Amino acid sequence: MKSSRASLSSILQPVFSLRRPAFCSAAPPKPQTPLHLRPPAFRAALSDLQRWQAWAKTQASSVGSTFSALDGGPDSSLLLRELNWLVEDAVEHPALLSTENKVTAEVAIRAQLEEMYELWRQRIEERRPFQYVVGCEHWRDLILSVEEGVLIPRPETETIVDLVDHAVKADEELREGLWADLGTGSGALGIAVARILGGGGRVLAVDLSPVAAAVARYNVERYCLEARVSVRVGSWFDPLKDVEGELNGVVSNPPYIPSKNIHSLQAEVSRHEPILALDGGADGMDDLIHLCHGAASMLKPRGFFAFETNGEIQSKLVLDYIQNEMEGSFCRLEIVSDFAGIQRFVTGYKA
Amino acid sequence: MAHSILRSFLRFPSGGVCNFTKPACAYSRWHGSFYFYRRANNSRISDGVTSFHFVKEASIRGYPSGAIVACSRNYNSNVTSTFETVDGSEYLAMTDEKLMSQCEMDTFKVSGPGGQHRNKRESAVRLKHLPTGITAQASEDRSQHKNRAAALSRLRKLLALRVRNTIDLETYVPPPELVQILPTKSTIRLDKGSQIGPNNPKFALGMQALIDLIFAVGGSVSDAAKKLGLSTGALSRLILSDDSLRQAVNEFRVEKGMKPLK
Ligand SMILES: C[S@@+](CC[C@H](N)C(=O)[O-])C[C@H]1O[C@@H](n2cnc3c(N)ncnc32)[C@H](O)[C@@H]1O
Repeated sequence: MKSSRASLSSILQPVFSLRRPAFCSAAPPKPQTPLHLRPPAFRAALSDLQRWQAWAKTQASSVGSTFSALDGGPDSSLLLRELNWLVEDAVEHPALLSTENKVTAEVAIRAQLEEMYELWRQRIEERRPFQYVVGCEHWRDLILSVEEGVLIPRPETETIVDLVDHAVKADEELREGLWADLGTGSGALGIAVARILGGGGRVLAVDLSPVAAAVARYNVERYCLEARVSVRVGSWFDPLKDVEGELNGVVSNPPYIPSKNIHSLQAEVSRHEPILALDGGADGMDDLIHLCHGAASMLKPRGFFAFETNGEIQSKLVLDYIQNEMEGSFCRLEIVSDFAGIQRFVTGYKA
Repeated sequence: MAHSILRSFLRFPSGGVCNFTKPACAYSRWHGSFYFYRRANNSRISDGVTSFHFVKEASIRGYPSGAIVACSRNYNSNVTSTFETVDGSEYLAMTDEKLMSQCEMDTFKVSGPGGQHRNKRESAVRLKHLPTGITAQASEDRSQHKNRAAALSRLRKLLALRVRNTIDLETYVPPPELVQILPTKSTIRLDKGSQIGPNNPKFALGMQALIDLIFAVGGSVSDAAKKLGLSTGALSRLILSDDSLRQAVNEFRVEKGMKPLK
């Protein structure tokens, strides 16, 4: 399963072979600038932009509940909300669009009008995730740049940051020192954890995907955290050999979907998001188990870990595994539910 | 204040934005206005959660008396009649954090396994204020954080609209939070500080006090205006400046057989 996964991801990212050595010298991929951060360099007649908007609304409405019936995808009402957000990101003064302005008025936009048509066509016809269309995701209080090749951070994962917050409030010693975010993707967890820790903490954010690492670095810079978050490329704990036994905390949202389920996911996910970020092997547990062992050797005594799982049975399996196969490594183990009440996270402390 | 009276607007103006989740029975069995009132209090339960009796108003004037207990729900099952000394306006004076601690937060149920399986912004937030059962929700923003803030400010507004405090008209002096939302020409305004408008978070407190007064004077704008040192026209304009305020006042006036303000 693991090998088929690697080859699939190289199909998705043909330029960057994932088998490259971790610290290669090739120029890192250049991340795209999210739409809302591009200069409003293009002009369009207000009436033309309104025509685009009317067309886009029709497109969204015609979807009805087809996608949601098909694979749990978005329905018209969600698409219409996304359309508003696209306008917010693309148009310099979005309010102009809804006013009864003179037909001759021009508006400044951050993409050519033709591109606006193309972006919405991709959203509806190709089911390209909205976040890739606009190049960002709003996550917690952050706006993170994302693009193809990088997992779009999920709202469930926000809870891990709260768990870290609780842990460092309960034991202030954890705040000062090294933390690791394994499989950082867009850098979401690494950045949010660094902000929770404050000035005395440092986060090592690791990802195997060079595209993810480049995007994570871009996001780290956007939040001016270069001094506190370092992004390293490599597999799980491999690039952290120099800090073995020194980590105060480890967080991770590793790939956890069982391989057989990948192809039945909603089209936004299965067709567009990197399989390397999703496929957790036969039962989805491969990476979680690997991380449990890694955490046991990388954490300091009393160090904290929080892992996201596929939920319910999987979190119990992870907990059982730690209790039975890794007896004595960890204590104060807990399963924590996400906002929807699904038992989602496994947390604990190094004994 | 011995008890405050909660008034629900079942036909809520803003569509899906606000509703009561519980008690479902109050919804389905009656239409029209309900008054919720708290039992006389003599002790407080530790978690600050009160039990309510949902009461159908029999006669508009005689507040709790003659009321029919329609349905009751105790959040704390071993307490049947609980005691609570929080005055209605105190909820609004609470910090966001304190008010949040009295709320249960729901984000919308995700069908299926969620997490990596899904690309859907489950950023909608619903807050349920446990002491009153009032809920507010927000879903228009992309971030759950912002939706939570929006839901909280909506909740404040709903508390202002629905939690009624009784007023003694004989000794009535408009509270400072109400004075702040009055136009500067009001003769009871001693300082000439600027007027707080509907977009200011402090507006809710003033609005609550204003509705309390309008209820106390039986819906008469001219009587309320006198108490506030304003002309009837000026007070009408203030009421009309905010949709939910206008709606609350007009619903009450219509019930009293008066013409709605336009
Ligand atoms: C589910 S995504 C999580 C991304 C991010 N932490 C988040 O929560 O949005 C899993 C991440 O693990 C990375 N990954 C997969 N296999 C890896 C490995 N062997 N070593 C390091 N990272 C890996 C993927 O590239 C992907 O970015």
